Amino acid sequence: MKVHTTGTTAFGRRSFALGAVSVTAALVLSACGGGDAAESSDSTDLASAGATTLTMWVDAERSPALTDVTARFKEDTGIEIKLVTKDFEQVSDDFITQVPTGKGPDLIVGPHDWLGKFVQNGVIAPIELGDKAAEFQESSVAAMTYEGSTYGVPYSIENIGLLRNADLVPEPATTMDEVIANGKAAVENGAEFPFLVGMDPKQGDPYHLYPFQTSMGVPVFGTDENGGYDASKLELGNENGAAFAAKVKEWGEGGAGILNSNITADIAKEKFNAGASPYFLTGPWNVPLAQEAGINVVVDPLPTAGDQPAQPFIGVNGFFISSKSQNSLAATEFALNYLTTEAVQDAMFEGGGRPPALTASFEKAAEDPIVEAFGKIGADGVPMPAIPEMGAVWADWGGTELALIKGQGDPAESWAKMVSNVEAKIAK
Amino acid sequence: MVDQLDTPVRSRTSAPQKKTRRSPDSTAGLLAKILLLGLTDAFAVYVLMALFMNEKWLILAVATAVTVLINWIYLRRGGLPAKYLAPGVLFLLVFQVFVVVYSGYVAFTNYGDGHNSTKEDAISSISMSAQKRVPDSPAYQVSVVEKDDVLSLLVTDPDGGVRIGTTGEPLEDVEDAEIGGTGKAVGADGYRTLNFNELLSVQQEITAIKVPLSEDLDDGILQTADGSNAYVFKPVLVYDEAADTFTDTETGVVYADGGEGSYVSDSGERLPTGWKVGVGFENFERAFTDPDLRGPLVSVILWTFTFALGSVLLCFGLGLFLALTFNHPNLRGKKIYRTIMILPYAFPAFLAGLVWSGMLNQEFGFINETLFGGADIPWLTDPWLAKFSVLLVNTWLGFPYMFLVCTGALQSLPDDVNEAARMDGASAWRIFRSIKLPLLLVSTAPLLISTFAFNFNNFNVIFMLTGGGPRFSDTNMDIGATDLLITLVYKVAFGQGSGRDYGLASALAVIIFIIVAVISAVSFRQTKALEEVNS
Amino acid sequence: MSNSTLTPAGKGTAESTAGTVAAQPRKSFGHWFRDKGWRHLVGVVMGVFALFPLAYVLSAALSPTGTLVSANGLFTTVALDNFIDLFSDPQKPFAKWFMNTLIVGLITSAGTVFLGALAAYSFSRMRFTGRRFGLMSLMLLQMFPQMLGVVAIFLLLSGISDVVPWLGLGSQTGLIMVYLGGALGVNTYLMYGFFNTVPKSLDEAARIDGASHVQIFFTIILRLVTPILAIVGLLSFITATGEFLIASIVLNDPDAQTLAVGLYSFVGDSQSRSWGVFSAGAVLAALPVMALFLFLQRFISSGLTSGAVKG
Repeated sequence: MKVHTTGTTAFGRRSFALGAVSVTAALVLSACGGGDAAESSDSTDLASAGATTLTMWVDAERSPALTDVTARFKEDTGIEIKLVTKDFEQVSDDFITQVPTGKGPDLIVGPHDWLGKFVQNGVIAPIELGDKAAEFQESSVAAMTYEGSTYGVPYSIENIGLLRNADLVPEPATTMDEVIANGKAAVENGAEFPFLVGMDPKQGDPYHLYPFQTSMGVPVFGTDENGGYDASKLELGNENGAAFAAKVKEWGEGGAGILNSNITADIAKEKFNAGASPYFLTGPWNVPLAQEAGINVVVDPLPTAGDQPAQPFIGVNGFFISSKSQNSLAATEFALNYLTTEAVQDAMFEGGGRPPALTASFEKAAEDPIVEAFGKIGADGVPMPAIPEMGAVWADWGGTELALIKGQGDPAESWAKMVSNVEAKIAK
Repeated sequence: MVDQLDTPVRSRTSAPQKKTRRSPDSTAGLLAKILLLGLTDAFAVYVLMALFMNEKWLILAVATAVTVLINWIYLRRGGLPAKYLAPGVLFLLVFQVFVVVYSGYVAFTNYGDGHNSTKEDAISSISMSAQKRVPDSPAYQVSVVEKDDVLSLLVTDPDGGVRIGTTGEPLEDVEDAEIGGTGKAVGADGYRTLNFNELLSVQQEITAIKVPLSEDLDDGILQTADGSNAYVFKPVLVYDEAADTFTDTETGVVYADGGEGSYVSDSGERLPTGWKVGVGFENFERAFTDPDLRGPLVSVILWTFTFALGSVLLCFGLGLFLALTFNHPNLRGKKIYRTIMILPYAFPAFLAGLVWSGMLNQEFGFINETLFGGADIPWLTDPWLAKFSVLLVNTWLGFPYMFLVCTGALQSLPDDVNEAARMDGASAWRIFRSIKLPLLLVSTAPLLISTFAFNFNNFNVIFMLTGGGPRFSDTNMDIGATDLLITLVYKVAFGQGSGRDYGLASALAVIIFIIVAVISAVSFRQTKALEEVNS
Repeated sequence: MSNSTLTPAGKGTAESTAGTVAAQPRKSFGHWFRDKGWRHLVGVVMGVFALFPLAYVLSAALSPTGTLVSANGLFTTVALDNFIDLFSDPQKPFAKWFMNTLIVGLITSAGTVFLGALAAYSFSRMRFTGRRFGLMSLMLLQMFPQMLGVVAIFLLLSGISDVVPWLGLGSQTGLIMVYLGGALGVNTYLMYGFFNTVPKSLDEAARIDGASHVQIFFTIILRLVTPILAIVGLLSFITATGEFLIASIVLNDPDAQTLAVGLYSFVGDSQSRSWGVFSAGAVLAALPVMALFLFLQRFISSGLTSGAVKG
């Protein structure tokens, strides 16, 4: 390096004296630069041999679970893992942009519904779990499977459940009608809200309402023979859709007032933690704060609105390996052989609080009744569709539900309109 | 330095001739020039050599030309404007013009989800995904061994049998293998076993090893991803390099390059991973024929103009008013007031947007609950109120900028004019209207136009507050009362079944750019500033 | 030019309104109010408008439960937990981010002022072929919707990384260069406008005295437009410190990140956002801006320029 720098600086000064850059001189000088460049490329090879460094992208929410684990991995194997914390909203798009240039990370952590986009863009490599697949909860491996190949190592499963303030309503309910009745009774006894669910006042929240929708027999997509979602079978528009739409309007602001588009996720959380409602439809992430606030939280199974089981979406978090990773063996060693061990999955649960995907670790974690209850609900759940076509569904789906909650429009008509619009977008 | 004084202001005929050969600072100036140019050249040569080593000939040629040009600009006599413009223009060209040109280029491609990289990447990625593990095949434990610089896999099958093989050499039995603690073969005669660190140093070679299970290739091949476990894979799609096709091994369907950046079968079925290709004017055609865009386009365009104009007027008006208000020579607390006024600009806009949307919440927001005593005003969900709210918040976000600029502008006004007028007894308002405002507009008019352009494309404030809503009820598209053209572009280009379509988004962006540019150029012509430019 | 055109206009209006401001020495409340009092009133009202939303941020920063939206609960609990959290997570080195932001912000702002002023000087004082085209292109460039800019900038820096690693991805120098690419945009316009208000007769006089163009630029023009230099400096500092998108793709290493990028990591996941910590960080991040503004006020304040113009 030293030769190189002094060489160029000297040249730089002289070049001025000469009046202009002489291309021939540059070529002569490149001889010493040449040796230099060769040296530096050698040294990178040595670096990868001596101390391999993997880069892993993770969002802030998932990183606490991983800091200890990566430190231990380094102790055990000498492979350093550089955790890069990125913004959750952006990390998957950045990954898609950056992998093809070869500058992307080796691994990325995230929910399984990124899979479709990743595969479509050719940025992740399949990973064969082998016998280890059997050690995971079935739904988690299923979620990580896309078009017959497994692409990720699962580490946690998440889904929503119904939180109940047992001081306000002591008994669990199984149907939505009972829940509403209990909620109304609680309101008469002084509670402020019969039922809470966080809504986005801009786009509604089909995710949280999905269990009611499935219980009335209206899944988003049908499935193909392998059990994967089939974009050509849009089930939103089946014969039960209108009934569900009517139900949403009935529960909305013009009707029972169970769903309120002004209650954002933050407001819902705050009100439930203040004891203002007996019910709160949400995920495990809101439980610790409620408990801290002194609420007697019980997790109930999801109530049904129709005659079918209430199936929430489940989200599986996992590790994906870049298709262009230069360190795929080290990355595989980490993801497949290290992260799948019971001790590590235990540690990730302790660090991040997300229910483990590894069955043995989950069973330990399920000693906590809250984790157990969410796990039971999740067992009935369906994976969030990972197919890219799902991206065409959200906006119209949420917007239509939002309008219905506000009491606008005829349910059957607006639902049908939404379905045809989604179909048109998917067809593009 | 002085010798470059030959192109001063042209309009002045009385410009002095080159009088002095030497001004007091010329030696220091020359030294500074030599030093700066020398450093620049040193850096340039460093970059050129790096380019040479990386064999990037085209960039090398361009960079050389730029270096020569810079030296020419600074070493020749005359060409004074270029000397002042060169540094900024260089950065501008590299980091801004490139972005625009690149976006223009993307508009003519199908870049986006599913068309993310090159064809080679797509082929390798399809091949990688097509490797499926043979159902119910056993899992093998492997060690990586080396002999004569060839890496082989030493394979222990579940029954304990040990075999060895490498790419092109099917597995064959190994006698007297050294068996490790877990029943896995860890060494064989004549072979050296690689330890973990050695594995890491040759990891790409290891993952590339494809050991045929037997002479019959249909039995599948053995591959390892981690150097310790191997599975039998068979591809469901086989790439034929000569014909440039993928063939489905089960159904026999052939997927060929359909010319649109993906492999397509005869029946029109596409493989999900494609690559980026040029598509000519297709994106522009789609932009003009897309029904999503044509629907309520008129109202969106009208609102976009209203919003952009309204934002400029409100921000500038408020900023100017405040600047004048606090521009009093001995107003107590002036510093504090000024500091408070710029605070909205010092906080992340996104945080402010969030707070505002909370404050405007119909049922729980501060504005309804406290200011209006529990009223039920739908600030963000009524079409007209939503427009009002968006403008209000945008004014809050933008007025500090205009306040600062106007404050500076007021300082630069020559005070003697002001004083003269005051002496003559002009009222404050007359002074402002007849003297200060025209002068202020000379300096701020160009800025107002670029603020207009900025707000024309102000994606963030809309997405934070309303997401474009409330939706129009007379259309089934996802378009609402506060949608700007740019949010519409986003919804159309990124919200479809095929995912994000950068090609279409760029084409739309180019079209919008042309619209705004024409309008701005025309209005720019009519400002006083342009008279100045034309002179 | 501005001086010569304006003086007559001023005189004309002055004559027509002569007498309305016949000096009245009596200092009544009414007089005080017309002169200064209303300014205080405006200051207070606008202060409330400007600050009220920020009160939520401050309240969230001081509240251990940290919600941003509750209407009635402003400052019900005041604790420094969030500030302590901010400095105690080794994964999120807030103090480092703070320093990085200062470095990037100050260099960018100095560079922007310098490059912008050079360009504005030539646009304002020289006449050359392509000048009008240049001004127009500068304006049009800013109007391009930057939706895809991020991808382009990534590819560009990725290319630069291959050649000069310390200028490409992951380096703050690279980020500063990208920011300097914007130096010739709106800021040049801003300065160009103000340079035009400085009478050209001053340049002429100096040139007759034998000053070179460099001397005129540094010793006359720049001195006279100090307020706008200060303001451009402040604006570009705010822009550079608040910029998120480009910084987040250029700087991957947590230790090298700027505040904007780092802070977002507290609220990235929609399911559990640490609004309290984020707000605390935002409050602290606003401090340098305020400090810089207070520092620059002396250059912005009136009186400094008028004497020089007359001289």
